[in-house]
Amino acid sequence: MIATIKAEWRKNRFRPAFLVSSGLIAGITVLIYGLSWYQALHPGTGERRGVVSILTLYPDQFVNNVMGAGFPLGAAIAIVLGALIAGSEYSWGTMKTTLTQGPGRLTTWFGRVVAFEAWMAILTVILFLVGAGSSVVVAAFQGHAIVSPAMIDIAKGLGTIWLVFAVNGAIGLALGTLIRSSAAALGVGLIYVLAVEVLLVRFIDSLNNGAYQWIGNLFVNQNATALTQSFHSAAFGPSVAPSIGAEQAVVVLFAYFAGLVIIAAALIRQRDVT
Amino acid sequence: MTPRPPKPNVTVMENTTIVETHSLTKRYGSGVLAVNSVDMSVRRGEVYGFLGPNGAGKTTTLRMLVGLIRPTTGTATVAGHTPGSPAGLAKIGALIESPGFYPYLSGRENLRVVADMASVAQKRVDEVLDMVELTSRAGRKFGTYSTGMKQRLGVAGALLKDPDLLILDEPTNGLDPQGMAEMRKLIKDIGQGDRTVLLSSHLLGEVEAICDRVGVISNGRLVTQSTVQDLLGEEGVMVRAQPADAAQEMLTRMFGPEAVSRQDGAIHLKTDPGKSMEINRQLTAAGIGVSELRPFERSLEDVFFQLTGEKQGS
Repeated sequence: MIATIKAEWRKNRFRPAFLVSSGLIAGITVLIYGLSWYQALHPGTGERRGVVSILTLYPDQFVNNVMGAGFPLGAAIAIVLGALIAGSEYSWGTMKTTLTQGPGRLTTWFGRVVAFEAWMAILTVILFLVGAGSSVVVAAFQGHAIVSPAMIDIAKGLGTIWLVFAVNGAIGLALGTLIRSSAAALGVGLIYVLAVEVLLVRFIDSLNNGAYQWIGNLFVNQNATALTQSFHSAAFGPSVAPSIGAEQAVVVLFAYFAGLVIIAAALIRQRDVT
Repeated sequence: MTPRPPKPNVTVMENTTIVETHSLTKRYGSGVLAVNSVDMSVRRGEVYGFLGPNGAGKTTTLRMLVGLIRPTTGTATVAGHTPGSPAGLAKIGALIESPGFYPYLSGRENLRVVADMASVAQKRVDEVLDMVELTSRAGRKFGTYSTGMKQRLGVAGALLKDPDLLILDEPTNGLDPQGMAEMRKLIKDIGQGDRTVLLSSHLLGEVEAICDRVGVISNGRLVTQSTVQDLLGEEGVMVRAQPADAAQEMLTRMFGPEAVSRQDGAIHLKTDPGKSMEINRQLTAAGIGVSELRPFERSLEDVFFQLTGEKQGS
């Protein structure tokens, strides 16, 4: 397993998709901060009045703030990366190269997953570093005190975003493995997360006065949404409590992660590599 | 085509096989029978040519030998292990169909990834790059390589483990004549010593020039397996003379009826080509005009078309 992880790490570290994704995550975070800062200082009037409070952009709130960049945009990037990593192994013919080297199929697959999830952790850290940096810049310009959030909140936030990236990355990995093509896999993954799931959940919620809402609450990104929305403070104003608790969301997301990785492992173990 | 001389420094252990298959069969779904009950044996130390037309089942067979495809029925033992087992793969280097590498990595980085996978020391990467003469271009991205360079990198990847068995599936595919010649030389060099090479090809000249033994596959069935010499049969002499009947009668008297046959107006003699001068002298002395007299040898191409039932030039 160590050999496989080493090989996967060596392979991924120069992969343009990872470097571009890191830049995208950083760029999106800076953009969100920049636009929010402008809106906070120029709220407008009447119906077009903005609702961003400058208080949400200071360092003590940065963990709550980066959740917006982490989901759904960061999750979409994770799906794309997962689909690329798994699907391109078939289109480049590297799957057969890998599987004729010695480590078994499952060892190869789990090594790939470990290396991929390490990259998701790196993307999470980049998101947090850029978010923290942006909040410090805002605070410095506004002459506000620079106060860090509690370490436990930072740790919880890191864990949350990593889990959201990990499970969405696993969707991409599983689709790439199933379809054996990166382009089709990332298309299907993005359409599902950004459209199909939303439509399905709305439909289920509308049935019989919401009697089947519990089914909707089992969908993957309903739980991701609930988990990221659990990071909230008074600075952001009043909010509606999510129908899914943070603890339940963590359990469901881990279950999806494990299930997707195991399904893909079974496919890799059983299927011929042609 | 000059027949391949026997390897000077190789002891082929006649009774030791490195690849053994029994009734190996692959059927896709309920339809296509890609490989049909193949019994194949490759001996240690030899260069074995796996010959067949496109679509005959060569690549499917090789994929089964390295564990990429599971057989529908039948068994195989490769390097003493079940195909695809980690212990067996540790002794096998394979280039199946086309080299599969990451286009955004350099040739050297690609080999480093493969070396990590195979738990091979990184210093081996430079050794194999040197063997395939790619050292000077190893820093370039794989995606920018020519077809010949890609194939050579594929061979380098297969050599990383210093394998007992090297499986090369159509390694000259897509190469220009110079690239093909270079690849043949490389395979010959690799095949020196006690390493076994299993080379699949549809190029008859390539197999004839490089291989010790040949297996011919057609429509999924292994139609023959033999040494190149046995397949080509005995050497002889081809004579064209007038009157042909008189010439045939005289040669039959000289060499016996079993040594003489007539094909397309030419007389084929199973005899030592060194006797050509004597044959010419006797025929001329008998007043028979000799228009052509030359050593005769069946080419592997003749044998191949005869075995596979394919038509030459079709």
